[in-house]
Amino acid sequence: MNHHGQEPAPGVPPAGENLEYRVAHLRDRIAGGPLGELGARLEVRGETVLLTGTVPSAHTRDEICDLVAAELAGHQVHCDITVADSSSPDHAEDLA
Amino acid sequence: MIRAAAVGDIHMAPETQGILRPAFETLPDCADLLLLAGDLTRHGTPEEARVVAREIQGLGVPVVAVLGNHDQHDDRPEEVTAILEDAGAQVLEGRSVVVDCGGERVGVAGTTGFGGGFVGRSAGEFGEPLMKEFVRYSRRCAESLRASLDQLAEQGCDLRIALTHYSPVPDTLAGEPLEIYPFLGSYLLAEAIDTAGADLAVHGHAHLGTENGMTNGGVRVRNVAQPVIGRAFHVYHLHARQPVGAAVAGGPT
Repeated sequence: MNHHGQEPAPGVPPAGENLEYRVAHLRDRIAGGPLGELGARLEVRGETVLLTGTVPSAHTRDEICDLVAAELAGHQVHCDITVADSSSPDHAEDLA
Repeated sequence: MIRAAAVGDIHMAPETQGILRPAFETLPDCADLLLLAGDLTRHGTPEEARVVAREIQGLGVPVVAVLGNHDQHDDRPEEVTAILEDAGAQVLEGRSVVVDCGGERVGVAGTTGFGGGFVGRSAGEFGEPLMKEFVRYSRRCAESLRASLDQLAEQGCDLRIALTHYSPVPDTLAGEPLEIYPFLGSYLLAEAIDTAGADLAVHGHAHLGTENGMTNGGVRVRNVAQPVIGRAFHVYHLHARQPVGAAVAGGPT
């Protein structure tokens, strides 16, 4: 039986409301839009969206977290994005 | 012994101006040169390139760089290159440079490189024009790297370093999703490095990867993406190999 073009099965949200697809498109926007940030990962964990990765500044981290929270209002967004450490190294590696 | 500092993926923009400068100003104390492994800007705009230029200008050590995919996003890689070169950096694409480090001649061969994947799991030059061009472009980058390393050997460098943005090996991608490995590097780069020979290969691009790897030919590879090394840069001490026959020449006959 072909369900092409028909209403989704009972209990299945329309594709436009599907959290996984929304997160995938949001990730594309973060990577390709003004943020240009490929270092942030967005993953669906049940009803929560988890953000991880390392970005160059606290400003970028806040921009990403605010954007995701606004776009996915109603879902819990957990931001674990860290800011890159810009301190000098305390040792060198000897490649003897 | 030479001391090579390296970092990639610093993704600078106006709001990060000055973040790396304090650490970079310590370079003359701990390094002989600085290698920048691409993705120096966020979008590859001239404005962002000028931020990087101010960060690296007048550091007191030679700066050798390749661009990354971010540095090409605004379709003005030539402008980005010119701005960085005005600040004193050597920006390599399919060419090499020799740096004098306290009497030792260090050759750096550089290309951004490209993707395609690794042995047994790589894209092939087949099918749609876009797919064929994808693989051909990666092949051209690798070929230019091999030729540049060969040229450095002919010039008698004491040490040779291959500098790329994309990874030559899968080792340093560990931590990245397996599904995106073909977009993170290409075995063609490693094949070029092993064919021509090198003392170290440095790359960036894989933020979730790991620092240490090695080519099949035994060349050490270091992923210096800033999120991986967790510092403004890392420093590697490299030792020039004894010329073949040197020990015999000085020993008993």
